[in-house]
Amino acid sequence: MSEPLIVFDKVTKSYDGATQVVKSLDFAVERGEFVTLLGPSGSGKTTTLMMLAGFEDPSGGTITFDGRPLNNVPAHRRGIGVVFQNYALFPHMSVAANLSFPLEMQGVGRAEREERVRGALDMVKLDHLGDRRPAQLSGGQQQRVALARALVFRPKLVLMDEPLGALDKQLREHMQIEIKHIHEKLGVTVVYVTHDQGEALTMSDRVAVFHHGRIQQLAPPAEIYEKPANAFVASFIGENNRLDGVVAARDGASCLLRLADGGEVRAQIGEDLPVGAQAVLALRPEKVLIGSEAQGENRFEAEIEELIYFGDHTRLRLSFGGSDDFSARLTFKDGLGPLKKGDRIPVAWSAANCLALKPEES
Amino acid sequence: MANTMSVLGPRRKASAGRLALALVTGLILLFLVAPIAVVFPLSLSSGELLVLPTPGYSLRWYTDFFTSSRWLDATWNSFVVGIATMVLATLLGTLAAFGIFLGRFRGKALLLAVLSLPMVTPVIVTAIAMYFALSMVGLGSSLTGLVLSHTVLAVPFVLLTVLASLQNFDQNLLRAAASLGANPVVSFRRVVLPLIAPGVATGALFAFATSFDELIVALFIASPGQFTLPRQMYAGLREFLSPTIAAAAVLLILFSVLLLAVNEFIRQRAAARGAAPGEPTP
Amino acid sequence: MLGMSRRNLLAAALIAPLLLLVTLSFLLPLGATLYRAVDDSEFSTALPRTASLLRAWDGQGLPPEEAFASLVAELRQAQQDQAAGGVLARLNFEETGLRSLLLQASRASARLSAPVKDSLIALNPRWGEPELWRLFKRATGPWTSLYLLRSLDMRPTDQGVARAAGGDAVFLPLFWRTFEISLVTTLICALLAYPVAFTLSVLPQGWANAGMMLVLIPFWTSILVRTTAWFIILQREGPINALLMAMDIVDQPMAMIFTRFAVYLAMVHVLLPFAILPLYGVMKGIKPDYMRAAASLGAPGWRRFLRIYLPLTMPGVAAGSLMVFMLSVGFYITPALVGGSGDQMVSYFIAFFTNTSVNWGMAAALATLLMVMTGLLVVAARLLVPGFRSGGVKV
Repeated sequence: MSEPLIVFDKVTKSYDGATQVVKSLDFAVERGEFVTLLGPSGSGKTTTLMMLAGFEDPSGGTITFDGRPLNNVPAHRRGIGVVFQNYALFPHMSVAANLSFPLEMQGVGRAEREERVRGALDMVKLDHLGDRRPAQLSGGQQQRVALARALVFRPKLVLMDEPLGALDKQLREHMQIEIKHIHEKLGVTVVYVTHDQGEALTMSDRVAVFHHGRIQQLAPPAEIYEKPANAFVASFIGENNRLDGVVAARDGASCLLRLADGGEVRAQIGEDLPVGAQAVLALRPEKVLIGSEAQGENRFEAEIEELIYFGDHTRLRLSFGGSDDFSARLTFKDGLGPLKKGDRIPVAWSAANCLALKPEES
Repeated sequence: MANTMSVLGPRRKASAGRLALALVTGLILLFLVAPIAVVFPLSLSSGELLVLPTPGYSLRWYTDFFTSSRWLDATWNSFVVGIATMVLATLLGTLAAFGIFLGRFRGKALLLAVLSLPMVTPVIVTAIAMYFALSMVGLGSSLTGLVLSHTVLAVPFVLLTVLASLQNFDQNLLRAAASLGANPVVSFRRVVLPLIAPGVATGALFAFATSFDELIVALFIASPGQFTLPRQMYAGLREFLSPTIAAAAVLLILFSVLLLAVNEFIRQRAAARGAAPGEPTP
Repeated sequence: MLGMSRRNLLAAALIAPLLLLVTLSFLLPLGATLYRAVDDSEFSTALPRTASLLRAWDGQGLPPEEAFASLVAELRQAQQDQAAGGVLARLNFEETGLRSLLLQASRASARLSAPVKDSLIALNPRWGEPELWRLFKRATGPWTSLYLLRSLDMRPTDQGVARAAGGDAVFLPLFWRTFEISLVTTLICALLAYPVAFTLSVLPQGWANAGMMLVLIPFWTSILVRTTAWFIILQREGPINALLMAMDIVDQPMAMIFTRFAVYLAMVHVLLPFAILPLYGVMKGIKPDYMRAAASLGAPGWRRFLRIYLPLTMPGVAAGSLMVFMLSVGFYITPALVGGSGDQMVSYFIAFFTNTSVNWGMAAALATLLMVMTGLLVVAARLLVPGFRSGGVKV
């Protein structure tokens, strides 16, 4: 296996010398990989991207890119393409001139420039709009131009900072697929920043979940979703029921958790938890089985507090286990069924589908 | 667009109140332009006195202006000083504005206040300060001294107009340019300058006008050989009120209108270009 | 694009040339000028030994014989070196008559026999007055409050500060006049600007632009040219008088030029655009929704105006008024050309002391006080008007 394209080694960043926005980052991105930095705002993901692009200097540590350290390499000598959230297209230049700009900077000759600009416009299906000004394009078209501009000079790495944030939902989903296809076709390495977990899960080879300036988990999407490394990841990605309890017994990879109301739940051990420790149970609403389907190691009775109709599914808010906010997500094949508010129904889930994690430090 | 109904009630009440308001506005606007307009016929008088109605019309006072070495020298000096001031103030002001825009340091407000201090200092105070200082370094009566003084007076205008146009400038464009391989100088030339050009042009125009109209510093610093147009005009008013002064005033008014027209042209072109860079339109 | 430190380095390099220019050509000269208001070096420069003797003297009774002798000798020497002008002017400014007293002593220096003290007192009994010597002692510097106090119609004495003698109250009335003229001008400008800015802000764009031109043309026309226009128009034989006489409204020319009326007329004309432009900007920015909301909440027209529109436009009034006031306070050319001798403002006297009477200490003191007046005004405006930004940016 060849060396990684990007290596972060103990990288820290502080703007005021006191509070660290990024705390000791250590991770690597392989060549050709699509890695997404995901996290709430202020988690350090954008700062990380800015340091990689050269718009910010790390306060400590080293970033290595393509085998050479990036410290003191100014942004314009890094050869890293960037797609900005608001596209940052030069408003006084035509679309073609925008695309031609990086090639001019590289000293590419006129004929080849025109050739490559045409190719790039073709790639994003805008070959007829080269003469337009950015302001004359729709949001989606501007987004494609920004993408083409970041790729036209054939960088080894493209950074994307919430590139789809300004688009409406439908267009966003369409562009996600298009970006993914371009990535597959060109084999370019992509580091992508978003706060949209759906985007992160669908597009990435690996996702890095950021929180409080640290990577909480760096793993393929399925692992992030199914095996969150801690309570933050569990709650940040997708929905999760959280039930507080104490570890009553351990048995290999599983444990027994005693809930506030005295009920006992068998769960997988997600993080190292000694017997007697406070723990939080993470359980996805869609893993909860009810009624006649309610089979599994954990089987209880709960009362329906509320039924919320979503069209493709219905959510039940249940009171159970010392919580009145316990959700189950039901997909009915044959209508809503006879359930109604106040019913007491059996609920169950498999121990393999729930994790015992350390409570989050606030 | 603001709507009259919003303030004074529905349009059907376009009554006495509205009419009175329009009348008052008209009278005030008349007051603003009338004195300027009156100078035109006076300057075309064929007589020796500045009276209306004029005894007849002639261009003799304009001929007088354009054949008098004093007026011509003053015109020449004004243009030399004005253009030198404009170049210097625009260059230094634009660079400094960009520096202030780029920098991430404390005390920006203070720095800006210090740099625009000449704008709020009474001109007479600036004038005597320059006078004392320039006489000390031996530039007491020289066009160089005048250019330096005028630059100090004009630079805040450049600084503020350029800073104002940088307000609309999206910092990400600089980052984009860098990510595409442009060094800071190229970014400035290819990306920043074209986008803030209207602001720079307005600032330059202002710098020129500030110098071209400036009298008080010129009173202290310029000796007769270095009289500028305002200085020559002031001397004329103090000595003998000839209609040549009215002719000079008309020429200056026309020139001001020209500067105003150029400025309006710049503004409208910038507005037509939709000079709000970085804002994607739906 | 650059990292942070590199970025600030570049920023510093871009700002440095201008900062250097402003420092060298403005801040330093300004500082040096303001320093002249308290500088008191003439005596000790021209008469150094006397100065040090007087500094050592305790100020009781008369100074020692040595001081008398030294004063006469050094004065004589300074006169021969043509270096006595400064100190003579300085002392004579503090007390009229001291120049001739000193010149008399200097002329007699060859004939004075020892002890010089007695000979001088014999020559002129004033030399025996301790107050005179204490005045000299005060003049040995290095600083003096003389000019600043004089600018406030006061004078330093042995006991501290005293009011200037009866008829000498010159400068306080001058400052008061400057303030009064500026205030009246500002009020008139604000009053006239409001309807104009309002009408222009609600007119259809085409008409508004045309009206705006009528504001912008005078705005771009130089102050001197506009003052000149008034200077010509208001002449005794000028167009207005000619018109009034032709219409038999008056039978002899009215005195309009060189009056306070002329000063107000010209100053308002010059400054009115500065009041209209910011106000127009603010009024343009007020969304009709506010007024519609007020109407829907049941406020009749005049209450909508008083409770909603007027407060919303106040920042524009404040910005324009401050600009007008600040410029008024420093006005020089317009009053000098169209005003009478009783209509001149502080600037006129600064120019007068600089050029005509060559008393740079007084020029500097008046300049300092004028700056203080302007500065206090800006501070007051910032405190009184929330969210206020000063800035005289032309449109």
